[in-house]
Amino acid sequence: MLAGVRRVEHIMGFPISVDLRDGDERSHDAVEGAFAWLREVDARFSPFREDSEVARLSRAELEPADLSDELAHVIDLCDFYEESTGGAFTSWLPGRGFDPCAIVKGWAVQGAAEMLHDAGARRFCVNAGGDVVTFGESEPGVPWRVGVRHPERADQLCVVLELRDGAAATSASYERGDHIIDGRTGEPARGLLSITVVAKDLTTADAAATAAYAMGVEGIAWAAAQPGCEVFAVDSQRRVFRTPGLPVAA
Amino acid sequence: MKIHRAIPVAVLSVAGLVPLWQYEAHTASTTEVAAEAGVVPEAQTSSEAPSATAPDGSGYGTGTPPATTTTKPPATAAAKTVNGKLVKTVHGDVQVQVTFTGNKITAVKLLKQPNTGPTKSAVPTLIEETLQAGTADVDSVSGATQTSEAYVQSLQSAIDARGN
Repeated sequence: MLAGVRRVEHIMGFPISVDLRDGDERSHDAVEGAFAWLREVDARFSPFREDSEVARLSRAELEPADLSDELAHVIDLCDFYEESTGGAFTSWLPGRGFDPCAIVKGWAVQGAAEMLHDAGARRFCVNAGGDVVTFGESEPGVPWRVGVRHPERADQLCVVLELRDGAAATSASYERGDHIIDGRTGEPARGLLSITVVAKDLTTADAAATAAYAMGVEGIAWAAAQPGCEVFAVDSQRRVFRTPGLPVAA
Repeated sequence: MKIHRAIPVAVLSVAGLVPLWQYEAHTASTTEVAAEAGVVPEAQTSSEAPSATAPDGSGYGTGTPPATTTTKPPATAAAKTVNGKLVKTVHGDVQVQVTFTGNKITAVKLLKQPNTGPTKSAVPTLIEETLQAGTADVDSVSGATQTSEAYVQSLQSAIDARGN
Protein backbone atom coordinates (compact mmCIF):
# COMPACT_ATOMS: atom_id res chain seq x y z
CA MET A 1 0.00 0.00 0.00
CA LEU A 2 1.31 3.40 -0.94
CA ALA A 3 1.68 6.15 1.60
CA GLY A 4 -0.24 9.39 1.17
CA VAL A 5 0.91 12.17 -1.10
CA ARG A 6 1.49 15.82 -0.23
CA ARG A 7 2.37 18.32 -2.91
CA VAL A 8 2.46 22.12 -2.98
CA GLU A 9 2.82 24.23 -6.07
CA HIS A 10 2.48 27.96 -6.53
CA ILE A 11 0.10 28.63 -9.41
CA MET A 12 -2.07 31.67 -10.20
CA GLY A 13 -0.17 33.61 -7.54
CA PHE A 14 -1.01 31.45 -4.56
CA PRO A 15 0.02 28.12 -3.11
CA ILE A 16 -2.05 25.07 -3.93
CA SER A 17 -1.54 22.05 -1.71
CA VAL A 18 -2.85 18.54 -2.23
CA ASP A 19 -3.15 16.20 0.74
CA LEU A 20 -4.00 12.75 -0.61
CA ARG A 21 -4.53 10.11 2.06
CA ASP A 22 -5.36 7.10 -0.08
CA GLY A 23 -5.30 5.95 -3.67
CA ASP A 24 -3.01 3.90 -5.83
CA GLU A 25 -0.47 4.63 -8.50
CA ARG A 26 -3.17 5.82 -10.87
CA SER A 27 -4.59 8.42 -8.50
CA HIS A 28 -1.12 9.48 -7.44
CA ASP A 29 -0.28 10.09 -11.08
CA ALA A 30 -3.47 12.11 -11.31
CA VAL A 31 -1.98 14.63 -8.89
CA GLU A 32 0.41 15.56 -11.70
CA GLY A 33 -2.53 15.90 -14.05
CA ALA A 34 -4.42 18.08 -11.59
CA PHE A 35 -1.52 20.52 -11.26
CA ALA A 36 -1.11 20.52 -15.04
CA TRP A 37 -4.79 21.48 -15.36
CA LEU A 38 -4.33 24.35 -12.91
CA ARG A 39 -1.31 25.63 -14.86
CA GLU A 40 -3.40 25.42 -18.03
CA VAL A 41 -6.18 27.42 -16.37
CA ASP A 42 -3.64 30.05 -15.35
CA ALA A 43 -2.39 30.33 -18.93
CA ARG A 44 -5.87 30.50 -20.44
CA PHE A 45 -7.84 32.49 -17.87
CA SER A 46 -5.42 34.93 -16.28
CA PRO A 47 -6.36 38.55 -17.03
CA PHE A 48 -2.70 39.36 -16.43
CA ARG A 49 -1.36 37.30 -19.35
CA GLU A 50 -1.68 39.16 -22.61
CA ASP A 51 -2.20 36.03 -24.68
CA SER A 52 -4.84 34.43 -22.41
CA GLU A 53 -8.40 33.87 -23.62
CA VAL A 54 -9.60 36.23 -20.90
CA ALA A 55 -7.25 39.04 -21.95
CA ARG A 56 -8.29 38.59 -25.56
CA LEU A 57 -11.95 38.74 -24.57
CA SER A 58 -11.20 41.93 -22.60
CA ARG A 59 -9.71 43.45 -25.75
CA ALA A 60 -12.81 42.36 -27.70
CA GLU A 61 -10.69 40.07 -29.87
CA LEU A 62 -12.97 37.09 -29.31
CA GLU A 63 -16.36 36.68 -30.92
CA PRO A 64 -18.99 34.69 -29.04
CA ALA A 65 -18.40 31.82 -31.47
CA ASP A 66 -14.71 31.82 -30.58
CA LEU A 67 -15.23 31.23 -26.88
CA SER A 68 -14.07 27.88 -25.54
CA ASP A 69 -16.66 25.83 -23.69
CA GLU A 70 -14.77 26.45 -20.45
CA LEU A 71 -14.67 30.22 -20.89
CA ALA A 72 -18.35 30.29 -21.86
CA HIS A 73 -19.12 28.38 -18.66
CA VAL A 74 -17.06 30.82 -16.56
CA ILE A 75 -18.88 33.76 -18.14
CA ASP A 76 -22.22 32.11 -17.35
CA LEU A 77 -21.17 31.73 -13.70
CA CYS A 78 -20.02 35.37 -13.55
CA ASP A 79 -23.32 36.52 -15.01
CA PHE A 80 -25.32 34.41 -12.58
CA TYR A 81 -23.63 35.88 -9.51
CA GLU A 82 -23.69 39.40 -10.88
CA GLU A 83 -27.44 39.19 -11.40
CA SER A 84 -28.05 37.41 -8.11
CA THR A 85 -26.19 40.10 -6.11
CA GLY A 86 -27.77 43.03 -7.89
CA GLY A 87 -24.43 43.93 -9.42
CA ALA A 88 -22.42 43.96 -6.16
CA PHE A 89 -20.37 41.12 -7.57
CA THR A 90 -18.95 42.03 -10.95
CA SER A 91 -16.28 40.63 -13.23
CA TRP A 92 -16.14 43.71 -15.44
CA LEU A 93 -14.51 46.66 -13.71
CA PRO A 94 -13.79 50.06 -15.20
CA GLY A 95 -10.15 50.22 -16.20
CA ARG A 96 -9.59 46.55 -15.47
CA GLY A 97 -11.58 44.86 -18.16
CA PHE A 98 -12.85 41.33 -17.70
CA ASP A 99 -11.46 39.78 -14.52
CA PRO A 100 -13.15 36.48 -13.67
CA CYS A 101 -10.48 35.44 -11.14
CA ALA A 102 -12.97 35.16 -8.28
CA ILE A 103 -14.98 32.59 -10.22
CA VAL A 104 -12.11 30.85 -12.00
CA LYS A 105 -10.27 29.96 -8.82
CA GLY A 106 -12.99 27.88 -7.17
CA TRP A 107 -14.12 26.36 -10.43
CA ALA A 108 -10.60 25.36 -11.49
CA VAL A 109 -9.70 23.84 -8.13
CA GLN A 110 -12.99 21.96 -7.97
CA GLY A 111 -12.14 20.57 -11.39
CA ALA A 112 -8.70 19.51 -10.21
CA ALA A 113 -10.24 17.74 -7.22
CA GLU A 114 -12.71 15.92 -9.46
CA MET A 115 -9.81 14.74 -11.62
CA LEU A 116 -8.30 13.10 -8.55
CA HIS A 117 -11.64 11.56 -7.65
CA ASP A 118 -12.11 10.26 -11.20
CA ALA A 119 -8.71 8.59 -10.91
CA GLY A 120 -9.83 6.67 -7.84
CA ALA A 121 -8.78 8.90 -4.96
CA ARG A 122 -11.40 8.91 -2.21
CA ARG A 123 -9.79 10.66 0.77
CA PHE A 124 -8.10 13.93 -0.04
CA CYS A 125 -8.08 17.64 0.61
CA VAL A 126 -6.98 20.43 -1.72
CA ASN A 127 -6.23 23.89 -0.34
CA ALA A 128 -5.84 26.64 -2.92
CA GLY A 129 -4.81 29.89 -1.28
CA GLY A 130 -7.18 29.35 1.61
CA ASP A 131 -10.05 27.80 -0.32
CA VAL A 132 -10.52 24.18 0.66
CA VAL A 133 -12.21 21.25 -1.05
CA THR A 134 -12.42 17.84 0.62
CA PHE A 135 -13.42 14.41 -0.57
CA GLY A 136 -14.27 11.62 1.84
CA GLU A 137 -12.76 11.77 5.31
CA SER A 138 -9.27 12.37 6.67
CA GLU A 139 -9.36 8.96 8.36
CA PRO A 140 -12.15 6.41 8.27
CA GLY A 141 -14.90 7.85 10.45
CA VAL A 142 -13.08 11.15 10.97
CA PRO A 143 -14.13 14.26 9.03
CA TRP A 144 -11.61 16.74 7.68
CA ARG A 145 -10.98 19.47 10.24
CA VAL A 146 -10.73 22.83 8.53
CA GLY A 147 -9.86 25.87 10.61
CA VAL A 148 -11.05 29.32 9.59
CA ARG A 149 -8.37 31.96 9.96
CA HIS A 150 -9.15 34.70 12.46
CA PRO A 151 -9.73 37.87 10.42
CA GLU A 152 -7.37 39.94 12.54
CA ARG A 153 -4.84 37.44 13.82
CA ALA A 154 -3.00 35.43 11.21
CA ASP A 155 -1.82 32.82 13.70
CA GLN A 156 -5.26 32.15 15.21
CA LEU A 157 -8.42 30.38 14.17
CA CYS A 158 -11.92 31.66 14.88
CA VAL A 159 -13.81 28.44 14.21
CA VAL A 160 -13.05 24.86 13.19
CA LEU A 161 -15.28 23.18 10.62
CA GLU A 162 -15.77 19.48 9.97
CA LEU A 163 -16.11 18.61 6.30
CA ARG A 164 -16.93 15.40 4.48
CA ASP A 165 -17.20 15.75 0.71
CA GLY A 166 -17.56 19.49 1.14
CA ALA A 167 -15.82 22.75 0.42
CA ALA A 168 -15.12 25.94 2.35
CA ALA A 169 -14.05 29.29 0.94
CA THR A 170 -13.28 32.54 2.73
CA SER A 171 -13.32 36.09 1.42
CA ALA A 172 -11.66 38.91 3.35
CA SER A 173 -9.43 41.89 2.79
CA TYR A 174 -6.77 41.11 5.42
CA GLU A 175 -4.48 39.42 2.95
CA ARG A 176 -4.62 41.52 -0.19
CA GLY A 177 -6.18 44.77 0.98
CA ASP A 178 -9.38 46.21 -0.44
CA HIS A 179 -9.33 44.12 -3.59
CA ILE A 180 -13.01 43.22 -3.70
CA ILE A 181 -15.09 46.01 -5.19
CA ASP A 182 -18.79 46.50 -4.63
CA GLY A 183 -19.87 46.81 -8.24
CA ARG A 184 -22.91 48.87 -7.23
CA THR A 185 -20.74 51.70 -5.89
CA GLY A 186 -17.32 51.08 -7.43
CA GLU A 187 -15.90 51.34 -3.92
CA PRO A 188 -14.09 48.60 -1.99
CA ALA A 189 -16.45 46.40 0.02
CA ARG A 190 -15.89 47.08 3.73
CA GLY A 191 -18.96 45.80 5.55
CA LEU A 192 -17.39 42.49 6.53
CA LEU A 193 -14.05 41.49 8.01
CA SER A 194 -14.43 38.04 6.53
CA ILE A 195 -17.04 35.60 5.31
CA THR A 196 -16.70 31.85 4.94
CA VAL A 197 -19.14 29.79 2.89
CA VAL A 198 -19.41 26.02 3.13
CA ALA A 199 -20.99 24.24 0.17
CA LYS A 200 -20.96 20.89 -1.54
CA ASP A 201 -18.43 22.10 -4.12
CA LEU A 202 -15.76 24.78 -4.20
CA THR A 203 -17.17 26.48 -7.30
CA THR A 204 -20.25 27.43 -5.28
CA ALA A 205 -18.45 28.12 -2.00
CA ASP A 206 -15.82 30.41 -3.52
CA ALA A 207 -18.21 32.32 -5.76
CA ALA A 208 -20.75 32.79 -2.97
CA ALA A 209 -18.11 33.94 -0.47
CA THR A 210 -16.69 36.51 -2.88
CA ALA A 211 -20.10 37.71 -4.00
CA ALA A 212 -21.35 38.00 -0.41
CA TYR A 213 -18.23 39.90 0.63
CA ALA A 214 -18.82 42.38 -2.20
CA MET A 215 -22.38 42.93 -0.91
CA GLY A 216 -21.23 43.75 2.62
CA VAL A 217 -23.42 43.03 5.65
CA GLU A 218 -26.46 42.15 3.56
CA GLY A 219 -24.31 39.51 1.89
CA ILE A 220 -24.57 37.37 5.04
CA ALA A 221 -28.28 36.78 4.58
CA TRP A 222 -27.85 36.51 0.83
CA ALA A 223 -25.24 33.76 1.20
CA ALA A 224 -27.32 31.99 3.84
CA ALA A 225 -30.18 31.84 1.34
CA GLN A 226 -28.07 30.27 -1.42
CA PRO A 227 -29.04 26.61 -1.93
CA GLY A 228 -26.80 24.27 0.03
CA CYS A 229 -24.69 27.04 1.57
CA GLU A 230 -23.74 27.45 5.22
CA VAL A 231 -22.20 30.70 6.37
CA PHE A 232 -19.78 32.03 9.00
CA ALA A 233 -19.30 35.80 8.82
CA VAL A 234 -17.53 38.43 10.90
CA ASP A 235 -18.84 41.95 10.38
CA SER A 236 -16.84 45.13 10.77
CA GLN A 237 -17.94 45.34 14.41
CA ARG A 238 -16.44 41.88 15.00
CA ARG A 239 -19.80 40.26 15.47
CA VAL A 240 -20.09 36.71 14.21
CA PHE A 241 -23.17 35.53 12.33
CA ARG A 242 -23.49 31.95 11.26
CA THR A 243 -26.14 29.60 9.96
CA PRO A 244 -27.40 26.88 12.31
CA GLY A 245 -26.35 24.17 9.84
CA LEU A 246 -22.69 25.18 9.78
CA PRO A 247 -20.64 22.03 10.52
CA VAL A 248 -18.77 23.38 13.55
CA ALA A 249 -16.39 20.96 15.25
CA ALA A 250 -17.37 20.10 18.79
CA MET B 1 -27.83 49.24 26.71
CA LYS B 2 -29.69 46.03 26.20
CA ILE B 3 -31.70 47.32 23.31
CA HIS B 4 -28.74 49.15 21.91
CA ARG B 5 -26.99 45.84 21.42
CA ALA B 6 -29.96 44.15 19.91
CA ILE B 7 -31.13 46.73 17.44
CA PRO B 8 -28.33 46.28 14.89
CA VAL B 9 -29.32 42.64 14.76
CA ALA B 10 -32.84 43.59 13.85
CA VAL B 11 -31.51 45.92 11.19
CA LEU B 12 -29.48 43.10 9.73
CA SER B 13 -32.54 40.94 9.62
CA VAL B 14 -34.52 43.55 7.76
CA ALA B 15 -31.63 44.41 5.51
CA GLY B 16 -31.33 40.74 4.76
CA LEU B 17 -34.90 40.54 3.60
CA VAL B 18 -34.81 43.23 1.03
CA PRO B 19 -32.07 42.03 -1.28
CA LEU B 20 -33.52 38.55 -1.35
CA TRP B 21 -36.67 39.73 -2.99
CA GLN B 22 -34.80 42.10 -5.17
CA TYR B 23 -32.15 39.73 -6.35
CA GLU B 24 -33.98 36.46 -6.57
CA ALA B 25 -37.09 37.55 -8.29
CA HIS B 26 -36.85 34.64 -10.70
CA THR B 27 -37.51 32.16 -7.92
CA ALA B 28 -41.07 30.97 -7.66
CA SER B 29 -43.26 32.77 -5.20
CA THR B 30 -44.68 31.07 -2.18
CA THR B 31 -46.99 32.24 0.51
CA GLU B 32 -45.15 30.54 3.34
CA VAL B 33 -43.89 32.98 5.90
CA ALA B 34 -40.90 32.23 8.07
CA ALA B 35 -42.21 33.25 11.44
CA GLU B 36 -39.51 31.71 13.55
CA ALA B 37 -36.59 33.64 14.88
CA GLY B 38 -34.69 35.25 12.08
CA VAL B 39 -31.63 36.16 14.05
CA VAL B 40 -30.81 34.71 17.42
CA PRO B 41 -28.07 36.57 19.23
CA GLU B 42 -25.87 34.22 21.13
CA ALA B 43 -23.22 36.59 22.34
CA GLN B 44 -22.48 35.71 25.93
CA THR B 45 -19.21 37.26 26.87
CA SER B 46 -17.82 36.83 30.31
CA SER B 47 -17.32 40.56 30.64
CA GLU B 48 -21.00 41.25 30.45
CA ALA B 49 -23.37 41.09 33.37
CA PRO B 50 -24.95 37.64 33.45
CA SER B 51 -28.37 39.01 34.17
CA ALA B 52 -28.26 41.05 31.01
CA THR B 53 -27.05 38.38 28.66
CA ALA B 54 -27.82 34.95 30.01
CA PRO B 55 -29.75 32.66 27.71
CA ASP B 56 -33.10 31.72 29.11
CA GLY B 57 -33.24 28.50 27.17
CA SER B 58 -36.55 29.24 25.59
CA GLY B 59 -37.86 31.12 22.66
CA TYR B 60 -35.37 29.91 20.11
CA GLY B 61 -36.76 29.38 16.68
CA THR B 62 -37.29 25.91 15.39
CA GLY B 63 -34.04 24.28 14.45
CA THR B 64 -31.91 26.97 16.00
CA PRO B 65 -29.54 25.34 18.43
CA PRO B 66 -27.72 27.44 20.99
CA ALA B 67 -24.35 28.17 19.54
CA THR B 68 -22.07 28.89 22.42
CA THR B 69 -21.25 26.62 25.28
CA THR B 70 -21.39 29.34 27.90
CA THR B 71 -23.96 28.50 30.51
CA LYS B 72 -25.19 30.96 33.03
CA PRO B 73 -28.10 31.10 35.42
CA PRO B 74 -31.35 31.79 33.64
CA ALA B 75 -32.49 35.33 33.73
CA THR B 76 -36.09 36.22 33.30
CA ALA B 77 -36.80 39.22 31.18
CA ALA B 78 -40.06 40.48 29.86
CA ALA B 79 -40.63 40.06 26.16
CA LYS B 80 -40.94 43.25 24.19
CA THR B 81 -42.31 43.46 20.68
CA VAL B 82 -41.13 46.12 18.28
CA ASN B 83 -42.33 46.74 14.75
CA GLY B 84 -39.72 47.50 12.13
CA LYS B 85 -39.97 50.24 9.58
CA LEU B 86 -41.91 49.60 6.42
CA VAL B 87 -39.39 48.86 3.68
CA LYS B 88 -40.42 49.24 0.07
CA THR B 89 -39.01 46.79 -2.47
CA VAL B 90 -39.69 46.29 -6.13
CA HIS B 91 -41.88 43.35 -5.17
CA GLY B 92 -43.88 45.16 -2.53
CA ASP B 93 -43.64 46.34 1.04
CA VAL B 94 -41.86 44.49 3.80
CA GLN B 95 -42.34 45.03 7.50
CA VAL B 96 -41.14 42.80 10.29
CA GLN B 97 -42.08 42.53 13.92
CA VAL B 98 -39.29 41.58 16.30
CA THR B 99 -39.75 40.17 19.78
CA PHE B 100 -36.93 40.85 22.23
CA THR B 101 -36.46 38.93 25.44
CA GLY B 102 -33.79 40.77 27.33
CA ASN B 103 -31.30 41.68 24.64
CA LYS B 104 -32.09 38.61 22.59
CA ILE B 105 -34.30 38.43 19.56
CA THR B 106 -36.64 35.54 20.17
CA ALA B 107 -38.93 35.92 17.20
CA VAL B 108 -39.13 37.69 13.90
CA LYS B 109 -42.49 37.83 12.19
CA LEU B 110 -43.33 39.26 8.81
CA LEU B 111 -46.14 41.78 9.18
CA LYS B 112 -46.08 42.66 5.52
CA GLN B 113 -44.62 40.57 2.77
CA PRO B 114 -44.36 41.05 -0.97
CA ASN B 115 -46.64 39.06 -3.21
CA THR B 116 -43.74 37.79 -5.24
CA GLY B 117 -40.24 36.65 -4.53
CA PRO B 118 -38.80 33.74 -2.61
CA THR B 119 -40.53 34.30 0.68
CA LYS B 120 -39.90 30.71 1.64
CA SER B 121 -36.23 31.39 2.22
CA ALA B 122 -36.55 35.10 2.80
CA VAL B 123 -35.58 34.98 6.44
CA PRO B 124 -32.50 32.81 6.65
CA THR B 125 -31.88 31.94 10.24
CA LEU B 126 -28.64 33.30 11.60
CA ILE B 127 -27.02 32.80 14.96
CA GLU B 128 -24.95 35.56 16.49
CA GLU B 129 -21.84 34.62 18.42
CA THR B 130 -18.81 36.31 19.82
CA LEU B 131 -15.61 36.18 17.82
CA GLN B 132 -13.31 33.48 19.13
CA ALA B 133 -9.56 33.21 18.74
CA GLY B 134 -7.54 30.12 19.37
CA THR B 135 -5.52 27.28 18.00
CA ALA B 136 -6.55 23.74 17.23
CA ASP B 137 -5.29 20.67 15.47
CA VAL B 138 -6.62 20.95 11.94
CA ASP B 139 -6.01 19.36 8.55
CA SER B 140 -6.31 22.58 6.57
CA VAL B 141 -6.97 26.29 6.99
CA SER B 142 -9.48 28.41 5.12
CA GLY B 143 -8.66 32.09 4.77
CA ALA B 144 -8.72 34.87 2.25
CA THR B 145 -6.55 34.33 -0.78
CA GLN B 146 -3.09 33.88 0.54
CA THR B 147 -0.37 35.34 -1.60
CA SER B 148 2.61 33.11 -2.07
CA GLU B 149 4.75 35.50 -0.01
CA ALA B 150 2.37 35.44 2.92
CA TYR B 151 2.03 31.71 2.66
CA VAL B 152 5.44 30.97 4.11
CA GLN B 153 4.28 32.51 7.38
CA SER B 154 0.85 31.01 7.33
CA LEU B 155 -0.69 28.23 9.25
CA GLN B 156 -1.15 26.20 6.12
CA SER B 157 2.56 26.18 5.47
CA ALA B 158 3.12 24.74 8.92
CA ILE B 159 0.56 22.05 8.22
CA ASP B 160 2.17 21.17 4.92
CA ALA B 161 5.61 21.08 6.54
CA ARG B 162 4.38 18.83 9.33
CA GLY B 163 3.30 16.11 6.93
CA ASN B 164 0.89 13.38 7.82
